[in-house]
Amino acid sequence: MEPVTIGEELLEERRRQRRAGDPRLTDADREILRRVTRGDLADEFQAALDADLVNDPLLGGRDADIDDNVA
Amino acid sequence: MLVIDEYLAVDVVLGDWPAGLPDDDTFVLPASRHFRLLQRVHNPGTGQLTGILDRLTAAGRDSLRHPHPEVLHILDPRPLLDEAASIGARYSTGGLLVTETLAAGLAYGRQLWFGTPRNIGRRLAEIAGELKITVHVAEPA
Repeated sequence: MEPVTIGEELLEERRRQRRAGDPRLTDADREILRRVTRGDLADEFQAALDADLVNDPLLGGRDADIDDNVA
Repeated sequence: MLVIDEYLAVDVVLGDWPAGLPDDDTFVLPASRHFRLLQRVHNPGTGQLTGILDRLTAAGRDSLRHPHPEVLHILDPRPLLDEAASIGARYSTGGLLVTETLAAGLAYGRQLWFGTPRNIGRRLAEIAGELKITVHVAEPA
């Protein structure tokens, strides 16, 4: 087996931290956020994102752009 | 650095890794997309979304308001503004969400990663194609 360098160890540690997500989240927080973006509330979430473009001309552009910019 | 959208930002914060999303790079979210996530936190709207997001703990809200630096970075919009304005002028599309995202794609590896096709938008897809920016979609398995 080839020896692992310090750099490789450091990179692997960073990768593991990244894969684990934000350590501040509770299990209940995780469940809520999963429901919002990937679960039963995903349609409502997307509709809210789309509405931001319609309601904010700086974000969404001119009226003619909006239909093309949203889903 | 990989430029991601709001869906993948939440996936990454959760540690839920969609198939195909590399895990050996730094993830960055354009500021205008962070702003849309923040609006869900501070003003989630109507319906069930409001009620459920109100149930996040303070730490849960902070995971989106001030993302953990090991997990997710918010792109400083200032260096991207000139390119975003240029794209907006050339393509006659003024929306900061689209133009800043495209400018970020140009600056960081000519690729953009979305968590669902619904969040791409036709105009962004068209311009990305012309600018040789590859648009990836990574969804949960």
